[in-house]
Amino acid sequence: MGFAFPLLSDADAAVIRRYDVLHRGAGPKNADIARPAEFYVDASGKVHWVNLTENIAVRARPEQALNAIDAAKGGRRD
Amino acid sequence: MGLARGFGKIDMKRKWNWPIWIGFIIVLGGLFTYEFFAQFPFTRDFPWVNLLLFGIGVTLLLVGLFRAFGRPQVYRGKVFGSLFATISLFLFAFFAYEIFYVLRQVPLSAQAPRVGEKAPEFLLPDQNGKSVALTELLSPNGAVLIFYRGHW
Repeated sequence: MGFAFPLLSDADAAVIRRYDVLHRGAGPKNADIARPAEFYVDASGKVHWVNLTENIAVRARPEQALNAIDAAKGGRRD
Repeated sequence: MGLARGFGKIDMKRKWNWPIWIGFIIVLGGLFTYEFFAQFPFTRDFPWVNLLLFGIGVTLLLVGLFRAFGRPQVYRGKVFGSLFATISLFLFAFFAYEIFYVLRQVPLSAQAPRVGEKAPEFLLPDQNGKSVALTELLSPNGAVLIFYRGHW
């Protein structure tokens, strides 16, 4: 499939734990999976936007991420 | 005896109480179309279509029950009306529990990276099996990291 972005696999949930976004037992057969979470990280590695939903059915919309990027860049959109 | 037979005949001619059946079908639709409407943020963030279907279905069921019990000589549906209304009540309770309680059971994530902090480094395989580091993703415009689950 032609993804325009990397789709990363965190099979043992190590990075998910490092980001503290593990949802214990919420997956199929009570597997530990990620809670929905979105971050914008700038070129220097600094976090500019964190979206931790309170309802797993409600996820960030694309506009929210774009606005976060715009805000981090001071209104510019490259 | 003639009288009894007469009543029996009137009984058989009682009208079909359609709101009970249509209402129950709409209630079932309210539950089973969730998978479909959950595909779209507009109908998933707040499941208003499903709640609307439940509302319409229950209203019709109530109309049917009022007919069945209020004018039993005209309308049928006491038994099926009561049965469907009871089942609908349980289905709605289940739906409301899932939507308004289970979906909100999200971990606190108190230790998640905060605004201004440095994002933890990682090295993970991508869809082609190639290892990708966070630093590789960051230049030149930074990156949006999305931890997701399910198909949406």
